[in-house]
Amino acid sequence: MPILASVKLTVVLLALTAATVLVGAWCPQEAQQGREKIIEQFGADTAKILIDCGITDIFHSPWFLLLIGLLTVNMVACSMQRVFPKLRLLKQPLPFLKGKEIGKLPVNARLPSANDASILVYVEQWLRKRGFKIKRQDNCLVAEYGKIGRLAPTITHIGLLTLLLGVTVTSWCGFSGFKPVLAGGALSFEDSEHSKLWIGKLPRWYVRVDTTRREDHPSGDPKQWYTHLTVVSPDGTPLKEQEISVNNPLSYDGVDIYQSSWGLDHLLVSFNGKPRQLDLRQMGKTYAAFLPLDEGSILIFSVRGQKTPVRIFAKRADWDAPKLLAEMTENKPAQLGAVTLRCEQIVPATGLQYKCDPGLPITYVAFGFIIIGVMLAAIPHRHVWVCMAPPPSENFPPAAAGHYLYIGGRSLKAKVGFQRLLDGLIAQLKDELRINPGDDAEKSPKIDDVVSELGKEPAKDESLAFPSPVASGHSPATGEG
Amino acid sequence: MSELQLAFTNTAGLSSVMSFWVFVASNGFSKRKELLTKIGLGVMIVGFLSLTAAIIARGIEAQRFPLANLYESLLWFAWAVMGAYLALSRSYGINQLGWIASLTAATMFLYGSWLPASQHDITPLVPALVSYWRQIHVPPLIVSYAMFFLAGLSGFIQLYRAGRLFSLITAVVTVVLALTAVMLGTFTATDTTLLQLMFAGASLIGTVIAFAKLDTVDKARVDIRGAELYDDVSYRCIAIGFPLLTIGIITGGLWANHAWGTYWSWDPKESMALVTWLSYAAYIHLRIHRECSAEKLSLVAFIGLLLTLMTYLGFNSLGLGGLHSYGKFK
Ligand code: HEM
Repeated sequence: MPILASVKLTVVLLALTAATVLVGAWCPQEAQQGREKIIEQFGADTAKILIDCGITDIFHSPWFLLLIGLLTVNMVACSMQRVFPKLRLLKQPLPFLKGKEIGKLPVNARLPSANDASILVYVEQWLRKRGFKIKRQDNCLVAEYGKIGRLAPTITHIGLLTLLLGVTVTSWCGFSGFKPVLAGGALSFEDSEHSKLWIGKLPRWYVRVDTTRREDHPSGDPKQWYTHLTVVSPDGTPLKEQEISVNNPLSYDGVDIYQSSWGLDHLLVSFNGKPRQLDLRQMGKTYAAFLPLDEGSILIFSVRGQKTPVRIFAKRADWDAPKLLAEMTENKPAQLGAVTLRCEQIVPATGLQYKCDPGLPITYVAFGFIIIGVMLAAIPHRHVWVCMAPPPSENFPPAAAGHYLYIGGRSLKAKVGFQRLLDGLIAQLKDELRINPGDDAEKSPKIDDVVSELGKEPAKDESLAFPSPVASGHSPATGEG
Repeated sequence: MSELQLAFTNTAGLSSVMSFWVFVASNGFSKRKELLTKIGLGVMIVGFLSLTAAIIARGIEAQRFPLANLYESLLWFAWAVMGAYLALSRSYGINQLGWIASLTAATMFLYGSWLPASQHDITPLVPALVSYWRQIHVPPLIVSYAMFFLAGLSGFIQLYRAGRLFSLITAVVTVVLALTAVMLGTFTATDTTLLQLMFAGASLIGTVIAFAKLDTVDKARVDIRGAELYDDVSYRCIAIGFPLLTIGIITGGLWANHAWGTYWSWDPKESMALVTWLSYAAYIHLRIHRECSAEKLSLVAFIGLLLTLMTYLGFNSLGLGGLHSYGKFK
């Protein structure tokens, strides 16, 4: 199936994948934001349509998986057929081109010259200074730049396939989840999420939250959240202790536990000794609990942090704003008429994210490959050939100096930069050879000519796969399906 | 913000506006072209150096890496656009891109200076951003966005030189409309659904028209040499921007994994960056598959520009934020 290995298909698939991800970026996803958010944003009717079409869970839809599958098949097929085989060609020595062949290169020039090897030495040094690697044979030389850039597609594509492998391993063997835990509570992994094809197993140990606290900037904005955790075996033995914070997780037995959010959960108070729990809600920078007293009046408890006093407000329907009645701390009760209000405890909850990701090392290797690969792709691969030779045929006007210096080259990427580079070399050579404008030096073709020249180039000679166009034998498998 | 930092920033902003006018003039007066171009370049260099100084001063003042909010990222963006233009003009000797690069930098300065004071002030970071990963993750992204902008704009000049005026005008109008939507979303309380429609509608219609009208050529204006030059510049910008975007996305993943335990969570902005990445991957493969004309590639770079704009500024200002909404201030 030649189409499966075609770059045309790659472009189409990449574009379709991009469009699909775009839709997924625009529409809130159930897995991340929950169904309520979608209904809230679009209204029940539109939401239903979106949900039924699979748009609200687009990254798990058969359509998306199909695209990823096709991309993989396409990449494997294409790599086998045309990317990896080219590696072999990199090892083959470059041919030395002669005058006529140099004349066919996209950028080329012919300068009259004495049969003087020092010119070649000059060219050699000039090119070497600009990073070219040079081989010389008699009166000819070939120079190459950026060969390593040819490894780009191989390394990138191997990286992408490795990434897919890593992700698959994780999805089949890993698990993850999030749980808000109260100080003193415990985190276990029973209700963790994992994929349908899961073949992993859950640890039997669990994690106890000993304490948890928030550190603030002087302005009152949160600076950091801390939670002290103890890993406990099923029989109750402590196995490991650590204080975690954002960006500083605990790792144990392949499972990582992260500080991902933090809040005050509830307030334990007592009214004349009678305990009562008041749930706190976040209101901007503070937390508040509401206790209705009777029709139209309400007590509000406002807390900033664990260490700050709890402020008690009253609000009646006919008042504009709540009135501050009293403040209390854990040691200092408040007296409201005949009632003694005592703050027993301000209980925080720590948001713990956990995950076990056995494919991670593979994924990281893949990341490395991909980064190196795409960086290599920025390096242009360039060749320059130079050859000193007598006039090509009898009826050719003999050069005044007897010989001609042929110089030419090509670069698949950054063509104009390359053209400027070679133009620079040719100008300097003219200086060196003391050629005046108007002499019979044939100038390198103008860019226009190069363009039309490139346009004519058959798609077969798509790249700089070697051996060169003149050397026969191998024809790179580049034909499109 | 200290006096010194303000002075540097203002010099940079002013320079970008000045170099814009000088470059425009250089295109108008063909006699003085060379001199004016040199002056334009000189002013741009002054702007670039003072912006570098401003960013360093800000970092020293804040005692942290100066790339933590929208205002600071706009400074970086302008810095990258100016720096990239200076580098390109060195190796390509291109001048026409000069006024466009200056205009882009000036627009970003203007956008930045309109932001409320809370963005200009140096504020402490929220817990999620306190990490050395921030300086590894964000700069490559901002620089890649700048490269993609330049690539798109070079594509515009390519279209101009290739005589594709109709497509070019459509594309320019589209970008202006998209940018307007972003500005309205940032500074006014316009309904975000409306703005999303404006951005998406303009992009879709503009792209379709630009492609459809690609065969309309004004033959008198065709300058093959110039077209080839700017096609190459555009490709160069993408060839440099793409690895940077890749590094930015991957380091973002490493950071997220380090901080939250998952390297990818399909957060809207994350997904949008992936869309941009996939589109440029498509661009790169279109290049390899040689049947695509330079003009078509310019239009693909234009689509890339729209996606980059969406990723960088669009998502927060059009109300699609998600996890990365600290780029937002309303
Ligand atoms: C999924 C199917 C894909 C196929 C079939 C495919 C195919 C190809 C082919 C045939 C080449 C040219 C090789 C050569 O010139 O020797 C190439 C180059 C490349 N591909 Fe892919 N590719 C795919 C996906 C991707 C993706 C998703 C990326 C993302 C980064 C990517 C990155 C690259 C890079 C960086 C190059 C080198 C480009 C250059 O040298 O300018 N490929 N690909």
